Amino acid sequence: MNLTKGRIKSLLGNQQVLLLIVLLVMITGFSIKSPDFFARPVFANILADWYPLILIAIGETFVIISGGIDLSVGATVGVSGVVSAIAMEHLTTSHYGANETLLIGFLIAVGVGVIVGVLNTLMITKAGVVPFIATLVTLGAGEGLSVVFTGGSPIGGGPANAINLSVANIFQLFSRPGILIILLVVILGLYLHKTRFGRYTFAIGSNPFAARAAGINVNRHLAKVYILSAVLSSLAGYYFYLRLSVGAPTTGNGAELQAIAAVVIGGVALSGGQGNFLGTVLGAAIISVVASGLLFINVPANWKQVVVAALIFVAVFLQELRTRVRK
Amino acid sequence: MTTPLYEVRNVSKHYGSVVALDDVSLQLAPGEVLGLVGDNGAGKSTLVKVLSGAHQPTHGQVFLEGEERRWNSPHDALEAGVETLYQDSGLAPHLSVSANVFLGREEYVKGIFGKLGFLAQKKMDLDAHANLERVGIAVPQSNRSISQLSGGQRQAVAIGRAVSWASKVIILDEPTNHLGARQAGEVLSIIRRAKAQGLGVIFISHTLPHVLEVTDRIVVLRLGKIVADAPTSSFDAEKLLGTITGLIDSK
Repeated sequence: MNLTKGRIKSLLGNQQVLLLIVLLVMITGFSIKSPDFFARPVFANILADWYPLILIAIGETFVIISGGIDLSVGATVGVSGVVSAIAMEHLTTSHYGANETLLIGFLIAVGVGVIVGVLNTLMITKAGVVPFIATLVTLGAGEGLSVVFTGGSPIGGGPANAINLSVANIFQLFSRPGILIILLVVILGLYLHKTRFGRYTFAIGSNPFAARAAGINVNRHLAKVYILSAVLSSLAGYYFYLRLSVGAPTTGNGAELQAIAAVVIGGVALSGGQGNFLGTVLGAAIISVVASGLLFINVPANWKQVVVAALIFVAVFLQELRTRVRK
Repeated sequence: MTTPLYEVRNVSKHYGSVVALDDVSLQLAPGEVLGLVGDNGAGKSTLVKVLSGAHQPTHGQVFLEGEERRWNSPHDALEAGVETLYQDSGLAPHLSVSANVFLGREEYVKGIFGKLGFLAQKKMDLDAHANLERVGIAVPQSNRSISQLSGGQRQAVAIGRAVSWASKVIILDEPTNHLGARQAGEVLSIIRRAKAQGLGVIFISHTLPHVLEVTDRIVVLRLGKIVADAPTSSFDAEKLLGTITGLIDSK
């Protein structure tokens, strides 16, 4: 008896189990309120919102566990998307094949991500700027450059078949890029929890002095973490291009807040050293479900931010309660 | 005299115009416990940083087993067998006991996954326990996180980690700080066991009774200079304190 009681207690004390319950309750609630909600196209759409969010939120998870923060993820989504879109428009007008164009566009998007990651790294490890400020600089520069490069309007004119790629044609639920993103997320989750790379990320966030004393090259590791985060953001930028067939300068605006929200709801401590990638996966899923669900129960979309804000508060409050109980 | 295990010769360290260490020389023999004492600001921490490879001396040389070494980072010193336990910064509190013991020295699973960086967690859990037991520390499960341990247990893990990895020299900066009498006694017996294994131990402490109890020789620093270097038997508490504060001039 006591054993099962203890097990239930420890399950409820587990943030991921709680989040799963919250997620299921939300889905059930929306479905009861609006039976149309519980349908395959709706879930395909929720997933389509979730893919880019989980990409940047997983990057943010690594960064926050390492004891830092990356505010530039949203701007990186935008700038990598528009630079890649401009390049693909040029290639298409000069009669390159659609597949080559999409591949080159992909490489260019990732290249932009690497550049942002390297800039963040240089500011943080060489110039000694704290991550909050360093990534605020790239956030501003990235958002500004997206507008400069595009003149403020979306860039289309790329390969016509791009949008077909993001159609949910696998069980009418998953798109092909979506499957790749899910695979990538699983691999990154394993990397966070099962490999030396993840171990060092936790160690640096937990106590950078101990990490350095143990012979870990802290700056080199942080460089990898910030570049990883920026590259994942650029993948999200490219994903948006596939989904919308345009690169818009405003894509990704405010995405940093959603990513941080997903991470915090997922139970990653902003002070570093603690967290679980499943928490982030579920945190991002909850945000995506809220976004679609509110529309189905006739709540204006703008309420989404308010609901997410409330979720953040509840998540952080629960963590606070738990640490207080432990002490 | 035989070749010392670890030696610094005429080492100075300047921070801008501040001279933190001024022409310091000392030697450590295998199986010797050397006490390093001095008031705040005497240069103990700077000397520890030079010995551990965290800082490079402005002048002077460092020798390990008679061979001149230049440590570019603590990593170089660790690889050569010189372990350092820093004051209050030794462990990552959110990580498990075994993750801390193996931090920077992780072991991998066999095969392709190991090449990809996947950790042999079970093996490290078992080995961490065995390593700590070998140096005389009984610690609860290897997979508990450090933050769940008491202060004494944490310090035991930190020291056990350093002693179990050290192959030549171990530098312990204030290892008995904040510990109760019984726990401090355990730390001192770990030091004796390390000595019996032939390690050279440098023991830095403000707690003079501990220094007098466990060391073979004491070096006293004052204002960046060595003012005394003599066998522990030639000191008593009063004389040691007087030498540290400068009320007794031993030179």
